[in-house]
Amino acid sequence: MQRYAINIFFLVAAVTLVGLAQAGMLDKYVLTVITFMGINCIFAVSLNLVNGYMGEFSCGHGGFMCVGAYAGSLLSVAFFTNSKLFGAALFAPELAPFLFPLVLIGAGLAAALFGLIVALPSFHTRDDYLAIITIAANYIIISIVENIDAIGGPRGFSGMKKVVGLMTDVANVPWMLIWTIIGLFACVMIIYRLMTSTYGKGISAVCQNEVAAEIMGINTNRVKIMAFMVSSGLAGLSGALYAHVYGYVNAQAFNILKSTEGLVMVYLGGMGSISGVLLAAVAFTLLIEVLRFVIPWLNDVLHATGLLAVNYELGQVWKWVIIPLVLILLMQFRPEGFLGNRELTHVFPRLRRWITFR
Amino acid sequence: MLRVSNLKAAYGKIEALHGVSFQVEQGEIVTLIGANGAGKSTTLKALMRLTPPESPVVTAGDIKFNGVSILGMEAHRVVSDLRMTLVPEGRHIFGNLTVVENLQLAAWTRKNEKLDKEIHYIFDMFPRLAERARQRSDTLSGGEQQMLAVGRALMTKCSVLLLDEPSMGLAPLIMYDMFRTLKRLNADGLTIIVVEQNARLALQVADRGYVLDTGEIIAEGPAEDLLRKPEIKAAYLGG
Repeated sequence: MQRYAINIFFLVAAVTLVGLAQAGMLDKYVLTVITFMGINCIFAVSLNLVNGYMGEFSCGHGGFMCVGAYAGSLLSVAFFTNSKLFGAALFAPELAPFLFPLVLIGAGLAAALFGLIVALPSFHTRDDYLAIITIAANYIIISIVENIDAIGGPRGFSGMKKVVGLMTDVANVPWMLIWTIIGLFACVMIIYRLMTSTYGKGISAVCQNEVAAEIMGINTNRVKIMAFMVSSGLAGLSGALYAHVYGYVNAQAFNILKSTEGLVMVYLGGMGSISGVLLAAVAFTLLIEVLRFVIPWLNDVLHATGLLAVNYELGQVWKWVIIPLVLILLMQFRPEGFLGNRELTHVFPRLRRWITFR
Repeated sequence: MLRVSNLKAAYGKIEALHGVSFQVEQGEIVTLIGANGAGKSTTLKALMRLTPPESPVVTAGDIKFNGVSILGMEAHRVVSDLRMTLVPEGRHIFGNLTVVENLQLAAWTRKNEKLDKEIHYIFDMFPRLAERARQRSDTLSGGEQQMLAVGRALMTKCSVLLLDEPSMGLAPLIMYDMFRTLKRLNADGLTIIVVEQNARLALQVADRGYVLDTGEIIAEGPAEDLLRKPEIKAAYLGG
């Protein structure tokens, strides 16, 4: 019983959260922030597989989130709603909550496929070149999406609100929160199981020394491509959730800035540490939300004290000065992130007897 | 068993091997000796089928293992199917893993629980590694790291072992130890191809030798004969 404490704890936490949301104790804003926390967690943990465990440097993770967001949106609109684009709904609207996992899986598969397309040519190169190629892939994906007029082009794509509405018609529960929790759980499990498997050993070996891995009989190319596909697939899952929480997608939401957010979360948490990256993703999401209130407050204070010119308003764009600054300070004073490549259970060994992941 | 015929290999446009031919029979120790830049390491990398950027591309000739060409094979298949592996120059151990973890990782497809016997064999061969079993491997001395690199290669259950400069950076005593161990492994049935700058030491241990010079083989024969040849003595054995 003790060994399952962590699983029970998470289950209780998840049920409590959903219960609170259901009872209307969380206001809409808090609920959205919590959901985005979960989505950011999935995004960061998936990127951690490539940038942390495998030691490659992928900078275009937002691109795969974009593929997932659009694939998920298109699937769910085609499945459950009557639309101009796809015509009549494929399934009865009552089936929406039951078939929604198909949408998420489809989004993941689509993103994984794009991951494969990017990985095949780019893993013949190493190090910096992969970074350059993935940035390029990020731009290419966004340009492609923006130039397909049928799915809205630069205007974006919507219609997912209707699908979430259909689910709520069947049962009035906070569906997107539930799907995000399930998605996050699946994502952490997949990566944890992968890294403790034989394949995971291969991934660590590739990270350490590629030549050595190859002469230990490890098919380094296959290991790298597989890890990249899993990683981009899970990013796609986070994209699909994102699209449904917002009810609207626009390719520019997944540009290089989104990829950078992912990098910040991974480096903040510690490369190769699932628990570290989860902590970082939560902290990072909170930081962004806190800044939303702090910046206007700072603006008022600075104006009141006369430190800021009267005709200049400190706007929300300053977020993008403060966040990179956090990253710079982090690299300066704690380059290994919160936990380095260790898990919480290594930092606090006493936790270990409460925890088994099965 | 291993037959290399007229092998030409190049790094980009620069040809490093200009038609090298040699053969290795099962159970032999064969050494390739030669000066810096003679193409010794290049030959081993080509045999292992490693790929650019750090390894050459074979442009002509053939490598046959038990009569079958292995040119279309990838390095990891050479290891898993042919049971041939390399101890690379500069060791390439997994620095932030412990000694035991390094050995376990080399046997990555097998379950850790069943490896104890094999690890015991390695520790029997290199008692120093047993003392350092739980230590991070990048804290080991150069000699110990070289032992670990050899031990790790053995963990792949190889029957042919290629060694690239095993004596590099080692104190003379440790160097002699290393070659004694190679001799012992050979007596246990391992076929060994060793590339070495220390030609005298290598020829003392080897059955046969080949002398490489700027990408060509200029002399070959039983090791004792090469040790006695005046021109080899003058060029590689220090008179």
